[in-house]
Amino acid sequence: MTVPLLAKFAVRTLGRNVRRTFLSVVGIGVGVGITLFMTAFMRGGMDMRVRAIAESGFGHVRVAPARWDRLRDNELRLADWRGELEAVRSVEGVAVAAPHARSTALLAFGTRVAGVEMLGVDPEAEIKISRIARAVSEGRYLEPSDSEAAVIGLAIADRLEVTVDDDLLLTVVGSEGEIQYAMLRVVGVVATGSQDIDATICHVTLADVERLTGIEGAGEISVSLDDALAVDEMAARLNSVVAPGDTVLTWKEVVPGQGGDAASDRGFANALSGIVVVVAILGIAGAQLTAILERKREFAVLIALGMKGAQIVRLIAIEAATLAVLGAAAGLMLGAPIVYRTSTAGIDFAAIMGDDLAVSGVLFEPIIYCHMGTWMVPHALLIAVLSMLVASLYPAWFALRTNPTSALSLREA
Amino acid sequence: MDDALVSVVGARKDFHVGKITVNALRGLDLEIRKGDFLAIVGPSGSGKTTLLNLIGALDVATSGDVVVFGRELSSLSRRERAELRLRSLGFVFQAYNLIPVLTALENVEFVLELQGVDGGRREGALSVLEHLALSDLAGRRPNELSGGQQQRVAVARAVASRPRLVLADEPTANLDSENAEALLKMMRRLRDDEDMTFVFSTHDPLVVSYASRVVTLRDGKVVSDEDKNHGSSEGGRVERAN
Repeated sequence: MTVPLLAKFAVRTLGRNVRRTFLSVVGIGVGVGITLFMTAFMRGGMDMRVRAIAESGFGHVRVAPARWDRLRDNELRLADWRGELEAVRSVEGVAVAAPHARSTALLAFGTRVAGVEMLGVDPEAEIKISRIARAVSEGRYLEPSDSEAAVIGLAIADRLEVTVDDDLLLTVVGSEGEIQYAMLRVVGVVATGSQDIDATICHVTLADVERLTGIEGAGEISVSLDDALAVDEMAARLNSVVAPGDTVLTWKEVVPGQGGDAASDRGFANALSGIVVVVAILGIAGAQLTAILERKREFAVLIALGMKGAQIVRLIAIEAATLAVLGAAAGLMLGAPIVYRTSTAGIDFAAIMGDDLAVSGVLFEPIIYCHMGTWMVPHALLIAVLSMLVASLYPAWFALRTNPTSALSLREA
Repeated sequence: MDDALVSVVGARKDFHVGKITVNALRGLDLEIRKGDFLAIVGPSGSGKTTLLNLIGALDVATSGDVVVFGRELSSLSRRERAELRLRSLGFVFQAYNLIPVLTALENVEFVLELQGVDGGRREGALSVLEHLALSDLAGRRPNELSGGQQQRVAVARAVASRPRLVLADEPTANLDSENAEALLKMMRRLRDDEDMTFVFSTHDPLVVSYASRVVTLRDGKVVSDEDKNHGSSEGGRVERAN
């Protein structure tokens, strides 16, 4: 296959001023490298956020009564939780499905009292889906055979001055509005690292919640997915298997504050990347324009030879595309080692976040691991090519407007 | 006349330099006939370059008619004028103006590529170089060629598309007399063998000596038109000897 001379002309032209070409490639490379890192960081942060939400008991998606999204009433129950749990677990792509029943309660030990959100769980499923359930620091987590047993947060244990095997007095409001009392034995204490979360945790079995509150069934099924990115698609699929009157909500709907934070983080990162790219584009456009000005006579000759506007644009576009490919490669060489380092060692935000790693009931991790993947190659190429095309627009327009008679004085000195 | 390739009638060209208007051509009349080997001479500022620009469809007249191959240039679009230059006109510049990153062969071939010639493009370019005894320079880039060699390659580029008319502005200005003579012989052979018409603007007596016709400009007008084969005239109207 013969390479068109136009392409040879364009590529070889880049070798005419090696220093300028080198600086342009470095300019694009730096812009692409920074953008790659910021995108990798944003994706890593997003991965961490979604994982944290899912592992804080919210799941990637949640099966809930349809009215729950509007009322946020913990006493609402699913229409047919056992049937729905079985149906959800049979859907391909579902990793874990854990039923929950919630109720507000008071725990007392002696004269000390603490308000908690009692969470009724299936211990076997909960230990798989919840990082909180795995954060037992004393004793053990719940087992399916447990009855009138509780796992509480460290902050509650400290406030009530209780430890494993102590008995707590639980007070809840029953289904008819009556006050119900029960004794719960502390079988475990969890320490998540967050005072806020540790101050609210009180896990009991689902059966205990049903019995103590007199309200049967589960109020929600938290679902963890194999692919955290397939949330919307899976929500749609799961919606088709849940009972009428119930619905499937994504984590963005369950924890809307987190969805908003994620969107604003993404917007901020994109804006920063945009600024970097715009600065790079302006720099490259300046260099390109200078190159075109230096070649004004050459363009005049090409026009005199009969070269048409579209062919001149193609020539400049090939030059720009070649620079873009080189710039993308440079950007990958600059960005990939940084992304690799931060994807393996992570970036530790413990010093900034302090001891409390929870926001809106979501237990965050202090270390963000940048997301490294094959997406970086097309991403780098896309940014570089788009930047170069934009940066070449004005120089190309300038070249097209070359007046051959003034640019090319036929009677040269 | 039937064999007129170019007809310039009452051409005026004004340039505006700041607030000053320069009248480069002032109602110029000229006819270029098929097979002419025509030298346009005259002092600097007489309008030689402007005239070549108009005939070469690089510029349009302020008023008057410039008809090239039967087409009035002022009625053509930018694209049509580019097409005319590509298909029917060849240019030779004083400073050669070869594309520096392409070899001699590629410079010639490039014009054929612009024309959209696909098959046999390289062979066509090579045959032009061979015809002009330049094939040994085919693989060299302009910076590896002498001035004379570059100008001969520039002529090869200008004639590669078999144009009917070649416009050359001071083609020998940067050449020594030996190279200039070789170039002129080459162009005259092309005129004779390939049925091409050549128009030069020049100050070089050597070019004038080779020309079959000499047109002298002064102050934007033709002041004499000497046809060495037929006779001479004043004011651009040739009186033919019978």
